[in-house]
Amino acid sequence: MLYIIGLGLSDEFDITLRGLNAIKTCERVYLEAYTSILMVEKEKLEALYQKNVIVADREMVETQSDEILKDADKINVAFLVVGDPYGATTHTDLVIRAEELGIQVKAIHNASIMNAVGCTGLQLYNFGQTISMVFFTESWRPDSWYDRVKENSNLGLHTLCLLDIKVKEQSVENLVRGRLIYEPPRYMTTNQAIDQLLEIEQSRNEKAYTEDTLAVAVARVGSDSQKLASGTLKQLLTTDMGGPLHSLVLVGKRLHIMEAEVLRKFAVGLEEFNRVLVSEYNVK
Amino acid sequence: MVNFTIDQIRGLMDHVANIRNMSVIAHVDHGKSTLTDSLVSKAGIISGAKAGETRFTDTRQDEQDRCITIKSTAISMYFELGAEGIADIKQKVDGNGFLINLIDSPGHVDFSSEVTAALRVTDGALVVVDCVSGVSVQTETVLRQALTEKIKPVVIINKVDRALLELQLKKEDLYTSFLRTIENVNVIISTYYDPGMGDLQVDPEKGTVAFGSGLHGWGFTLTQFASRYAKKFGVDKSKMMSKLWGENYFNPKTKKWTSKSNDADGKPLERAFNMFILDPIFKLFDTIMNFKKDEALNMLDKLEVVLKSDERDLEGKALLKVAMRKFLPAADALLEMICVHLPSPLTSQNYRAENLYEGPMDDECGVAIKNCDPKGPLMLYISKMVPTSDKGRFYAFGRVFSGTVRSGQKVRIQGPNYVPGKKDDLFVKSIQRTVLMMGRYVESIEDCPAGNIVGLVGVDQFLLKSGTITTSEVAHNLKVMKFSVSPVVQVAVDVKNPNDLPKLIEGLKRLSKSDPCVQCLTNESGEHIVAGAGELHLEICLKDLEEDHAQVPIKFGNPVVAYRETVQSESSITCLSKSKNKHNRIFMKAMPLDDELIQEIEDGKISPRGDFKIRARDLADKYGWDVTDARKIWCFGPDTTGPNLLVDVTKGVQYLNEIKDSCVAAFQWATKEGPCAEEVMRGVRFNILDVTLHADSIHRGGGEIIPATRRVLYASTMTATPGLQEPVYLVEIQCPENAIGGIYSVLNRRRGQVFSEEQRVGTPMYTVKAYMPVSESFGFTADLRSNTGGRAFPQSVFDHWQLMNGNPLEPGKVQEVVLGVRKRKGLAPEIPPLDRYLDKL
Repeated sequence: MLYIIGLGLSDEFDITLRGLNAIKTCERVYLEAYTSILMVEKEKLEALYQKNVIVADREMVETQSDEILKDADKINVAFLVVGDPYGATTHTDLVIRAEELGIQVKAIHNASIMNAVGCTGLQLYNFGQTISMVFFTESWRPDSWYDRVKENSNLGLHTLCLLDIKVKEQSVENLVRGRLIYEPPRYMTTNQAIDQLLEIEQSRNEKAYTEDTLAVAVARVGSDSQKLASGTLKQLLTTDMGGPLHSLVLVGKRLHIMEAEVLRKFAVGLEEFNRVLVSEYNVK
Repeated sequence: MVNFTIDQIRGLMDHVANIRNMSVIAHVDHGKSTLTDSLVSKAGIISGAKAGETRFTDTRQDEQDRCITIKSTAISMYFELGAEGIADIKQKVDGNGFLINLIDSPGHVDFSSEVTAALRVTDGALVVVDCVSGVSVQTETVLRQALTEKIKPVVIINKVDRALLELQLKKEDLYTSFLRTIENVNVIISTYYDPGMGDLQVDPEKGTVAFGSGLHGWGFTLTQFASRYAKKFGVDKSKMMSKLWGENYFNPKTKKWTSKSNDADGKPLERAFNMFILDPIFKLFDTIMNFKKDEALNMLDKLEVVLKSDERDLEGKALLKVAMRKFLPAADALLEMICVHLPSPLTSQNYRAENLYEGPMDDECGVAIKNCDPKGPLMLYISKMVPTSDKGRFYAFGRVFSGTVRSGQKVRIQGPNYVPGKKDDLFVKSIQRTVLMMGRYVESIEDCPAGNIVGLVGVDQFLLKSGTITTSEVAHNLKVMKFSVSPVVQVAVDVKNPNDLPKLIEGLKRLSKSDPCVQCLTNESGEHIVAGAGELHLEICLKDLEEDHAQVPIKFGNPVVAYRETVQSESSITCLSKSKNKHNRIFMKAMPLDDELIQEIEDGKISPRGDFKIRARDLADKYGWDVTDARKIWCFGPDTTGPNLLVDVTKGVQYLNEIKDSCVAAFQWATKEGPCAEEVMRGVRFNILDVTLHADSIHRGGGEIIPATRRVLYASTMTATPGLQEPVYLVEIQCPENAIGGIYSVLNRRRGQVFSEEQRVGTPMYTVKAYMPVSESFGFTADLRSNTGGRAFPQSVFDHWQLMNGNPLEPGKVQEVVLGVRKRKGLAPEIPPLDRYLDKL
């Protein structure tokens, strides 16, 4: 049996009881560590599970899945995913391969940023399509997500932006030559994300959002040091959110009075916030 | 020799209308350096007691020993032109003193890159052609190079003494031989036309062709004779010029000019050129060599040639030399031709600017280059590095195209990969010193204005081989030089003593700097490779490496050649590769490019620069491409300019633009290292047929797309009947008739194919031309010598890539070659199987 187990948001104690019990039955435990990261070291996990945990990077998951799935038809193998197992679409491939090999797969769900974003006070019903924001390079500045944001904004829906992390990436040259030399890890901050958002808005100029659009910056959701900040994109561009991981929500026009009420509590500049609420969102 | 102080020379450098920057170019052994010597001994600017040495411009010991030029060398000369000459000049003139910066360049094809570097800094070229051998392969190569650089040529037909003394040609035969040589030169010139440069055809009537003997130090153009006879006949000089060449005859009886070769009675008339020019020369030769001395001295007096009393006592050849040198001094004729007919920097930069500058012609640098403005922003092109006496340091040698370069000036040093507005390949440093380079001597100068050639101290460590130096922050680069030879012969080098390795690596760096063409690379397996244009070039490079640059004992491997990987048909299937996360799929097919198209790309006629619409029109008209496809060429590769194309032929695919960058990166690398032997690819068109992509850009970043694209590129190559191309030399061999048999037997053994065998008119010499694979050329010269008793002289120049018969994926000769290359490079011994690159749906 292959267990795909969600670990939740912040530290080792976020795992579900069902998940923990499943791990106890497993002979091998893999921790997927590239689509998201946990805020604690793997030793803490090992101490809690009393099992050896193997860190599986992108290289391993994508090209050596056979090793992960080895003997999983006879023994139990756990594949730990930060957040919810199906939060990252990339793991569907592992599931398909497992099923091809006649291995039973069971997912144990957990909280993910996709639902924990409710902490902003914005109602999950009012969210549109989620987008990911990648690190722009000098020549690679993809903006296809802009159309998704625009569709959401036309419907007045909020947009959750997941921000890029580069835990173990190769440079282009090493990638092409197949050398396993990795760049130092990087995490995108909300400031960088807003900068890129505004850059694309400037070039596309279709008014999917503006500097005055309200947004919520969230950092380390689910942990003790969780931080929330709401304000216009212009204000948040310079608001420091501290260490990783960050996410950003663009607030849609269909903002409910109750949602606005919560947002006010962690506004970075209340006066400006209220002004924009009236002028842009028609909320008094 | 002219004895000048540095301040006086510096003064001349400001009169840019009277500067002539010129190179001397020719086939090997046609007498460039000897001819240059005769110019230098007349007009060379030199400080004091260094006169009297021969082969002035061959500064290296091995150059003197071998009697060939290896490195190009610059030398400055000063010449005062007479009033008549000044009147002939059709461009701006500033007084009658001229500063001539001459660069003597190597004639051996292996060193053509030195010629390219020399041409870049000059505006005119003196093309030297051996009167007996005529226009040879290297004459053509360098002349074409000059014309591509928009360098104006003038010609000297050299070694005329040989035609007279050894071949004993008749006057009319000599005239015909001259005519043919000039025609051959003009045939080459006529394929280049530039409205800015005007008519480039050389013509004795215009004074752009000289005849003479560098060895004996005499030479003339029609101008000298025309001014002599113009007085006598009382006609205009320019009119006289046209009478002295071509179908013009003088009837001594009627004293009338005619264009018919017979007089009214049907008797043959003598051609004016023969009668008025060749006749006195022939008579002098005849009388002196046949010891009719009185007659000769009598004639010399008539010609107003004054000999000193001890010179009058000379006999035979010695007397001939002195007499001819006084009668027709080569230096005067040539220097006059150079000053009158070659352009000043002021004239030439006006039409060269577009060819030189990558940026827009209306920005401050473009305008300053066009006007050769010493007060504009500094634009200086470094064309080569010259070793200093200080080991490991180099003078950066180049030409100031605008502005003025000063010692201590803070400048931007832009390498070939510099892109305006970015910081890659850019250094901002101070110039330590500016120097004047004259043969083997160097003199410091305070500054150097536009239009001059200069050496810089203190920038060598920031440039690999060449680059642009400027003071303008908005300056684009000056165009990188295009070499006519490519480094196709390689050799592996290693140290004998492992402790010396750091010295070898440092030495390789220096070697690479000191030669414009040599390439020093390190294999994946850590093997060091030196690549050069030919055996001789490589030999010189390795000698320099061991003796000068590394100074440690070095082991050399056997020379090997570089191959090219290509395809011979369209991919048999549509190839698919998936990204590692399996969310992205790329479908592709490969097919061969048209041979002529490959050639045009390699010549830079079809390039990634310029308007894509015009390029697409070209491809459609000439090569039958679909215009829509041709407009969607994503890139050229390798190195963004190579002869392989990545074409987007997809229909309505979402997000395609967002993976373009990754595909291009993969394509550049894949074409640099092909699937069979990791050799450079050549002549392959890759069509991206379709792609399926993950909706979210985070799952289709470079990490996913680059490896997938590389794999599909390889898969489509391997399914398109891969092939291997080997480099082939054009070999030109000059020999007497009885050596031809030996030549054929040597060529046969080396897979050579003779395609032409001609006797040169009026000589017993034959010219044999053949194609021979470079891989068979090692030791060819020595082999040929021993088989012909040393009577055959070959010149080999890289000509083309030849597809080898066979497929690397099937057992046979080609596979053996591929496996050999893999072994040498330290790769896995087998060619990777197709399924490593091809995925199933």
